[in-house]
Amino acid sequence: MKKALATAGFLLIGSLMLSALPADVTYTEGDATVKTKAGAQRDAQIGDILNTGDTLKTGSDGQTELDQKGVTIKIAHNTVFTLMERQDGGKTSSVVSVALGSIKFRYDKITGTEPKIRTNGAIAGVRGTELSVFSGADGSTLIAVDSGLVTVESEGKSVDLAANQAVDVPLGKPPGDPFTVQRDQIDYAKWNAGKLDAMLYDPIAAMDSIDTAMASYERDIANFIKDFNEYSQNLKTERANYSDILQKQGTDAAGKYNEEIVYPLMLKTVALGLNVRYSTLAALSLRRFVAGRLYVIEKARFITRQDSPDWQSFLDRYSAFLDDFEKKVSPQLVEADI
Amino acid sequence: MRTSLKPRLLLVAACAATLVLGACASLQRSFDEGDIRQVADLINSGQSQKLTALSVTPFLVDGEVVVLPADVAGFWDGIVKAGFRVDGAALASGADIDKNSYSLFAPTMEVKAFFARNVREGGRILDFATSGGKHVRLLIKNEWFSWKIVGWKGPF
Repeated sequence: MKKALATAGFLLIGSLMLSALPADVTYTEGDATVKTKAGAQRDAQIGDILNTGDTLKTGSDGQTELDQKGVTIKIAHNTVFTLMERQDGGKTSSVVSVALGSIKFRYDKITGTEPKIRTNGAIAGVRGTELSVFSGADGSTLIAVDSGLVTVESEGKSVDLAANQAVDVPLGKPPGDPFTVQRDQIDYAKWNAGKLDAMLYDPIAAMDSIDTAMASYERDIANFIKDFNEYSQNLKTERANYSDILQKQGTDAAGKYNEEIVYPLMLKTVALGLNVRYSTLAALSLRRFVAGRLYVIEKARFITRQDSPDWQSFLDRYSAFLDDFEKKVSPQLVEADI
Repeated sequence: MRTSLKPRLLLVAACAATLVLGACASLQRSFDEGDIRQVADLINSGQSQKLTALSVTPFLVDGEVVVLPADVAGFWDGIVKAGFRVDGAALASGADIDKNSYSLFAPTMEVKAFFARNVREGGRILDFATSGGKHVRLLIKNEWFSWKIVGWKGPF
């Protein structure tokens, strides 16, 4: 599967990859690092270009500003931001991911091709010009719109937000009701602290939400892989047919067959491979920035009380979560993702 | 004459090599013990900031990869606030990492990749016992004239 996806990736370069939107680093201060798609890590510097698959991470004193072709993206401290892409309705679309922390987006103009914004539990389609996205410790999302319109989707339900409206999306649940908020009035640190307290108050309930969201990613991965394998098999057959036609009927007939049958099939196969990657990385983000952080906090909290029933029941639950992840998601990861 | 000298020279060379290797091994053990003592002292005296400064990101806690420095700081703060102590810390074993060392932390693809990417060279795994009978496992990385904590497992 990975080999097939790698092949698909190479094909992608020549066809679909061109549509991904890079982002330029226009300002950076404090601790800010870039991890490239290939896994190399370096300090972020003005002039750096982030491409699809690259992740920018800020530390406690770090903040960075990016320009993504007319979109200004302000990344606050302790934030993890990734440029992704996926196939949607036959087109490759850029997705910007906020795995943790807070980011403000300001669009010079709306063209209708704006990248979607994803967090661990929600997707936002942007038709607004200024909005903030907060991704909390428990995987929940808060989106606040200063101007324009934004559609927020989660678990099959969507809500539209107008200017001066915000919505809270708990992990693994549909968006709540929109509420009124004034520009820059949301205190992310306070909101996030409240989410963290609630998560630590009932870590088993937090694992329920994580499991629900993870199950959704795992279903996507399984479905995309199934389709990818079917399409790969069909592509192999059609390529053999193409060779046959080339031999028996000549270049013109083979060219026509390639244009009408083989090439569209190849694009669809590549697109499915891309979506396997997208869902895999989204699952990794949930595992690392929500589940993993919860584990580390709980580990420290119970380090002197390892016999505690609370710790033991959390540990049992977490082990089951890890086993599931190892079976259903890890086989799709590559070393550079880690 | 030549035939009797050769075995002697070989014997002397072997002894010298044994002494050098022995000295190296005992020097390495004393480095390992010093590293353990430093970590134990910092934990016991509640100096989480110094532990953070001694750590790198990404950092490993059992099988979890921690990528944000604030989360590493949070981990050390957390164990200090929980009152964790490692009284009587004594080195149980120290070993250079090899291709299977990752499984001493967690036998997962992620931890395997973490080892491959972050501790290819200069990595050592130090196990120490505490007076309470528990063990703690540290993953450290030696650099020029310094060392860093890269991972923690335990107590177990």
